[in-house]
Amino acid sequence: MIVVALVVPLVVGFVLIIARSHVTGRRAAWIGAATMSVTLALYASVWEGREQNISGDVDVAWVEPLAARLHLGVTAVSWPFVLMTAFIGVLCCLWLVADDTSPALVGLVLVVSASSLGVFSSRDALLLFVFFELALVPMWFVIAYWGSGDRRRAATRFLLFTVAGSALLLVGIVIGALRGGTLDLADLRPTAIAVVLMTLGLAVKTPVVPLHTWLPDAHSSAPTVGSVLLAAVFLKLGTYGLLVFVGPSDDIEVVAPYLAVAGAIGIVWSALACYAQDDLKRLIAYSSIGHMGFVGLAISTRSEVGVAAAVFGSVAHGVITALLFFVAGSLKDRYGTTSLAGIGRGLYGRTPWLAVVFVVAIVASMGLPGLAGFWGELLALRAAYDGSIVLPSSVSWTAVGIALLGIALTTAYVVRAIRLLAQGEPAPRETDRGLGRREIVVMGSLVVVIGVLGLWPGLILDLLEPVYVVAAP
Amino acid sequence: MSIPIDWTVAGPATFAMIGALVALLVDAFYPRRTWLGSGIPATVGLLAATVELARGDLPSYPFAFSLIVLMGSLFVVVASTIKNFENAMPPGEYHFLLMAACAGALLMVSASDLVTLIVALELLSLPSIALVGLRQGDTAAVRSAWTFFLASVTSTAITLMGISLLYGIAGSLDYGQLREALVDADAPDGVVAVAVVLTVIGLVFKLGAVPFHLWVPDTYLGASILVAAFLSTVSKAASLGALLTVLAVALPTAQASWEPVVGVVAAVTMTVGNIGALRQSDAVGLLAWSSIAQAGFLLAPAVALSTPYGLSAPTQYLAVYALANLVAFAALAVVLRLRGSTRLDDLRGMARNDPWMGIPLAFAALVLAGFPPAVIGLVTKYLVIRPVVDGDHVWLAVIMGVNVMLGLAYYVRLVVTLCDRPEGEPYVSPSPPVSVRITKSTVLLGTAALLALSVWPDLLLTHLP
Repeated sequence: MIVVALVVPLVVGFVLIIARSHVTGRRAAWIGAATMSVTLALYASVWEGREQNISGDVDVAWVEPLAARLHLGVTAVSWPFVLMTAFIGVLCCLWLVADDTSPALVGLVLVVSASSLGVFSSRDALLLFVFFELALVPMWFVIAYWGSGDRRRAATRFLLFTVAGSALLLVGIVIGALRGGTLDLADLRPTAIAVVLMTLGLAVKTPVVPLHTWLPDAHSSAPTVGSVLLAAVFLKLGTYGLLVFVGPSDDIEVVAPYLAVAGAIGIVWSALACYAQDDLKRLIAYSSIGHMGFVGLAISTRSEVGVAAAVFGSVAHGVITALLFFVAGSLKDRYGTTSLAGIGRGLYGRTPWLAVVFVVAIVASMGLPGLAGFWGELLALRAAYDGSIVLPSSVSWTAVGIALLGIALTTAYVVRAIRLLAQGEPAPRETDRGLGRREIVVMGSLVVVIGVLGLWPGLILDLLEPVYVVAAP
Repeated sequence: MSIPIDWTVAGPATFAMIGALVALLVDAFYPRRTWLGSGIPATVGLLAATVELARGDLPSYPFAFSLIVLMGSLFVVVASTIKNFENAMPPGEYHFLLMAACAGALLMVSASDLVTLIVALELLSLPSIALVGLRQGDTAAVRSAWTFFLASVTSTAITLMGISLLYGIAGSLDYGQLREALVDADAPDGVVAVAVVLTVIGLVFKLGAVPFHLWVPDTYLGASILVAAFLSTVSKAASLGALLTVLAVALPTAQASWEPVVGVVAAVTMTVGNIGALRQSDAVGLLAWSSIAQAGFLLAPAVALSTPYGLSAPTQYLAVYALANLVAFAALAVVLRLRGSTRLDDLRGMARNDPWMGIPLAFAALVLAGFPPAVIGLVTKYLVIRPVVDGDHVWLAVIMGVNVMLGLAYYVRLVVTLCDRPEGEPYVSPSPPVSVRITKSTVLLGTAALLALSVWPDLLLTHLP
């Protein structure tokens, strides 16, 4: 089933790219949405319960001399990532249901989503790496052709940073596979140096401060669906990679303190950067760095709570940031800019529902209890407060302290953004308009998911309970 | 005195030489001097040599390298049909020189003493130099040939110096006897080290490694594109094969003295090659510099020759590199013939307005870069990194990783240029002759092979040693 779920969007995507002149954008988007829905349904039904270590297991010989196999399957850690990715893929296609959509863009969205799904469902390191790289060039085209501003430069910088990271990851995988004897993710045995290489490589992708410099440009130059995919899905490739490559290793203690402190500094850094932003998309992009800081902090503890926090935080960040970028896209459609000053104040009075959605999204991003963002941050802090064998409590408490400062600063920029956009004296413009049908569908479903995850965190956390037993040394 | 001749070694080379002579004679006595007139004997000679190679029982590594040399030469000979009607290129001489160089390459990879090696090296080098300068009335080509010649004789002289020192130390030039003699040589370690390093230099030169790399871009740009293809694949395969054999069979006991040299040369070569390629605006220049970088990747596993994958990794990498490089050069030859230029700006949008040449070129670039969907490129990159890690040279592995990234920067630039939106209608030659179709079909066949290998890498990995 997983094979079908992966191959169908890849094939449909390539067909749409090749046959782009034979189909209208609107129809292409509907085809894409239908394809991703099928994939989502297949992935949802593949789960066999958490007693099963790997659900939907497919294991075929591939490259014998390397002991690489075509091994696919989802685990308790990867299943939430998979569902989130497929869901975001459906929404991206629905978002593109418009007359001015280019069919090739829909095709690229499908290819990118399917490659990311491939990363999350690979159980073989080489296969994972292939999917990891497969998504990059399509993403380059998404940014460079449909983006805005200095898009070529941003796209190229994104590509080079990511590829530099994955080159280090490849060396790390080789070392791990040599010691483990196979390329199976469960059997990789990276040495200390391999763990350092992998962490560096994945830290570029996640990104961890100070390796984040590619992110703001790429996210703000990309078109709406590109930003959504980059933030909601691509950054998760980094955190997922950290979870599967670095997390289980016995040598994580070499990197854990640095990862924890860098994550905590990232929270403060991103909050400060956000406070100074005038461009809404750049603001959202910088806020992602803070969220990934929490995830990095959680992973570095290598505890039950830490893994749960990392998975929950990643998924929650995926849906929240997707919603924020969709809102930014809507604003751009209306006012032709994403500058806070350019959009003007008083959105409550001008486009009430859009303003409400924006406020819901940004307070969820701040971590308001009752919404999805809360649990990831809370659990990450909890994991760090508890400390662990791999992370001395002196370091983890320092990290908690920095992170708390970051939370306070986060509140400041969130309030600023709300004041500058939603509140204030409305100055109506002729382009003010209510939510369109596709906007209601896309944003409505994301708001629902954010609320549901906020009220019933057990939906994801219950999956992860047994992970500790597996990951314990 | 009778000199023993090992026919399993000399057989394929003999057939290649017969092909060369027949091609030359046909051209001399057949008045119309057509391309096929000498091309067909050359092709037949290569096929006969392949059959002879398959019939004999060469040890696995010389066999693999000989096979790569023969297949590469065959590809070049068939693809060269595109030069039909190109009056500046005399067909008889062209095929004669190509086949003679091929015979030299065959002897080089299966040589088992240093004298044979040097003779074979010269048999490969001298026709290659002539091939570069063969185009009549082209002063750039002659200048390139001169550069190539001077660099070549210098490095051969250095190698001869090393060999004479080795002979002084060991009293023999046979690989097996050298190995034993070096175990507890009477000479001081310093002398042995100097002798070994000097010997290796000539081979490293043919490989195009730093510091003997500057002839490569100059020569490739001056020569006709398919001659550059020959130099970058067949000539490189021969020198790599000979180098690995010498290091693994004759000099393993001196590993301590050549290992650091090889490691550093590999690291610097791939870095310099990649940085040079980043600055190119011509597709041929880009491939020339990238072939220097690839030489670094080919050389790197040699630091771990004693590990289980030390010999097989470079062989398999070489096979894939050679095929992808031949496809790329042949596609560029077609482009040059039809559009009159191989500048990157003139290739813009080729995957859209000429998909049958643009997509193979893009795919070959992805294979060389080791970037999915060209899985075989990635797998071979993995293969060459593995022995390096296994031999505890993590620093070199990290440099290789960084260079994979650097390489991607320009290969992906080529791919992106090819897939870009074309700017206006390019100039395309209105009536391409039939001979272009033959070259095109070799490109497509090569691409099909690369695609098949990407889907099923085992096809290659389990069949080459």
